[in-house]
Amino acid sequence: MSTAPEPTPAVAVENLSKVFKAGLGKRAFVAVRDLSLTVREGEVYGLIGPNGCGKSTTMKTVLGLLAPTRGRTAIFGRSSTEVASRQAVGFLPENPYFYKHLNGLETLLFYGRLCGLAGAELRDRAREMLSLTGLEDAADRRVAGYSKGMLQRLGLAQALLHRPRLVVLDEPTAGVDPAGSRKIRDLILGFREQGLTVLVTSHLLEQMQEVCDRVGIMAHGRMMREGRVDELIAVENQTELVLRDASPELLAGIRELVERDGRAALVRSGQPRTTLESLFLEATEEKP
Amino acid sequence: MKRRLQALSVLLLLGLVKLPVEQTATATLREARLLTAMPDFGLRDQLGQMSFAAALGGLRSLVASFTYLRAYNAWENVNWAMVDSLFQITTRLQPRYEHYWDEAAWHMAYNAASYYLNDETLNPAVRGKLFHEHIRRGHDILQEGLRVLPEDPRLWNSLAELYERRTYEPARAAECYLKVAEFTGNARFLRFAGYQFAQSADRAFWQRGYDLLRAAYDKNQRPPTLINTLKDLEKKLEVPAERRIPESYVPVPSGAAVPG
Amino acid sequence: MTSYRAFSPARIWTLATATVTQLLRMKILIFLLAFCALVVAAGFAFPVLNPEQQLKLLKDVSFGALQVFSLVIAIVATALLLPRDLEDRTLYTILSKPVPRHEYLLGKLLGVLLLIGAGLLLMDLAFSAVLWLREKLLLAQIIQALEAKTPEAVAQLQEIVGKQGLNWGLHLGVLAVFWKAAVVAALALMISCFASSTLFTVVVTFCVVIIGHGQGLIREYFLQGGTLAEPVKKLLSALLAIVTPDLGVFDVVDNVINGEAVGLGAALAMSGTALLYLTGYAVVSHLLFVEKEL
Repeated sequence: MSTAPEPTPAVAVENLSKVFKAGLGKRAFVAVRDLSLTVREGEVYGLIGPNGCGKSTTMKTVLGLLAPTRGRTAIFGRSSTEVASRQAVGFLPENPYFYKHLNGLETLLFYGRLCGLAGAELRDRAREMLSLTGLEDAADRRVAGYSKGMLQRLGLAQALLHRPRLVVLDEPTAGVDPAGSRKIRDLILGFREQGLTVLVTSHLLEQMQEVCDRVGIMAHGRMMREGRVDELIAVENQTELVLRDASPELLAGIRELVERDGRAALVRSGQPRTTLESLFLEATEEKP
Repeated sequence: MKRRLQALSVLLLLGLVKLPVEQTATATLREARLLTAMPDFGLRDQLGQMSFAAALGGLRSLVASFTYLRAYNAWENVNWAMVDSLFQITTRLQPRYEHYWDEAAWHMAYNAASYYLNDETLNPAVRGKLFHEHIRRGHDILQEGLRVLPEDPRLWNSLAELYERRTYEPARAAECYLKVAEFTGNARFLRFAGYQFAQSADRAFWQRGYDLLRAAYDKNQRPPTLINTLKDLEKKLEVPAERRIPESYVPVPSGAAVPG
Repeated sequence: MTSYRAFSPARIWTLATATVTQLLRMKILIFLLAFCALVVAAGFAFPVLNPEQQLKLLKDVSFGALQVFSLVIAIVATALLLPRDLEDRTLYTILSKPVPRHEYLLGKLLGVLLLIGAGLLLMDLAFSAVLWLREKLLLAQIIQALEAKTPEAVAQLQEIVGKQGLNWGLHLGVLAVFWKAAVVAALALMISCFASSTLFTVVVTFCVVIIGHGQGLIREYFLQGGTLAEPVKKLLSALLAIVTPDLGVFDVVDNVINGEAVGLGAALAMSGTALLYLTGYAVVSHLLFVEKEL
């Protein structure tokens, strides 16, 4: 594949539009307008935007759950309308639920069989996924008793079960507490190391910033910005300087130097703040 | 949208293909006596909406059982009009179940008829009239049942008994016993027919009775009633002496005993 | 990554067994226990009736319960399947696996049919056991009451009671009940493929089931041909006869209870008709579901 000049993208969305027909007398709703995006193999791509901007619709179209009104979507070169294209995908829907009467292991066995796995191979793989997602101890418990974070991780486990090359995650941290959310973030970072391609949607920008190679920002069904995260968020004409144990005299000297320069200007100074997320984590992880 | 149209066309196509299949299946199953014609809508008023719907929905036998139980209850309360109307519903629901016809007729021709005959609160003329009317009703029920089940020996037997014991019409009883013999293959009923013919007032019937009984006699069926009746008929028909059966009792040859 | 197969009975079986366990969680076993209690009660409830009628009543009540059980499960359980999966989003996780949509539908339908089939089989066993026992008890009672001693007399009584007793036709009657429920389940699944709510599916299926029992009348009225005097009535009856299935074809139970034997031809006629409906409805369901927006 590497020999080809243009390698097949993991996900290709070309001029996608999706219109939902409403009932009689109501106007049709345009969820996605002329959207194009490409996810290269091995990268983590984040699709971000406010709720209702068309992220989930795009994702469902890629997975073949919705049919495009115009345009086309493909996974590793195979149209999403082909069932076979799904062989290479693992999908974690937003707030997933599973058959409540099954336990964690049975749930994975069920999904594994749907992917054509069987026997000892399936059992080993399911156990492996449970340990990867930290659900080993809950393997024999009914899914009905799982917390939201555990359901999310079980969702990840079923998405990864059949060793897909592409993982699609819809709001993977929605409603999950920060500890669980961090665990999921670490898993995504792990996928990247293993060379998996990840397509993830979220409206939590901070998290996306940490894990994504590239992001696309959607609003009103359109792609507003797209690019590498560090490029998108870098403010090019500013420089940050963080000091430790600086005396008031030193700070006054620096200010004086800036004033003397004439061209540069001091935008702000003060104590750097930690993110609320890290503060919360710090507080909750402290031992009493 | 395209798919929806396709779905609709397949549904309509299936509808057209299935019509002859349904016709054939219904015919096959009716022939095999597994399906009965639909209950008519007149029954709806008698049954009530719910029971009628249940009867339509494949629970006809169950609904019939319930109306039968109600009829049974009416009988315990000696309400003959109710017994009759509930049995009418029951037999209309399950016309192929001979037991209902049989029991309905028995209630009318025997129980109800005798009840009125013995009811001393009524004047004798009314008692006689009601007695005969209910026997007639029982007779009609059996006739109706036989229209549905023309080859049912049980109903023919009940009708024969009714002619024999209630209306005293031996020739008709005999004809009915012949039917029973025909549909059961049991020779006993040929003899019963013979006895009834013998009791009729018509010479032509005596001859038929004689032929039947003589044939039975020749097949070594020789119970005392048969011998006595045969001798009686020989006299009535003036059968020449050489063709009459022996005067003394003739033992049946060994190994050919036939009871009854 | 495993290789993808376009059609996989193993996948359908996985979906079917998951559906069975899913439905079993809806406390269906309680219904089966209630059935057994009802059958035993019906078997011993009316000792004053004549033995023939007692056995008939036992069969009537049992077959009534069998039909109600199978139809209720066929309508309600099937109507719940798709909305439940959609609500739980299990449909998304299943269909984002390499599972063709028709396999998903087939799996669901097969699951319902397995459940109804197994339920009917268990009920048939329970009912047969009670009937057999009741038959033997009644026979012993009559023989004692009538002081029948000769082998001929006993044989005659056996024949009379036996006609209302246990026979193979009864099991084929249960088969007819199964086919009817199977057709209704396929119908409910088809309706739920375009229905907007579970209630809609239940109500519409229930209506079609009612019309389906009278479809024979409607069809014969339409096929009689003849008068053009009432073209509107004719057209309506034609439409109803085409759109609804003839469920009356499976109502052989009434006569099976009465002791009529189900021959090979009759069994084939019922099974053939049922399979025609099942195939037709499955194809229509597929067409409605294959591009359904989830």
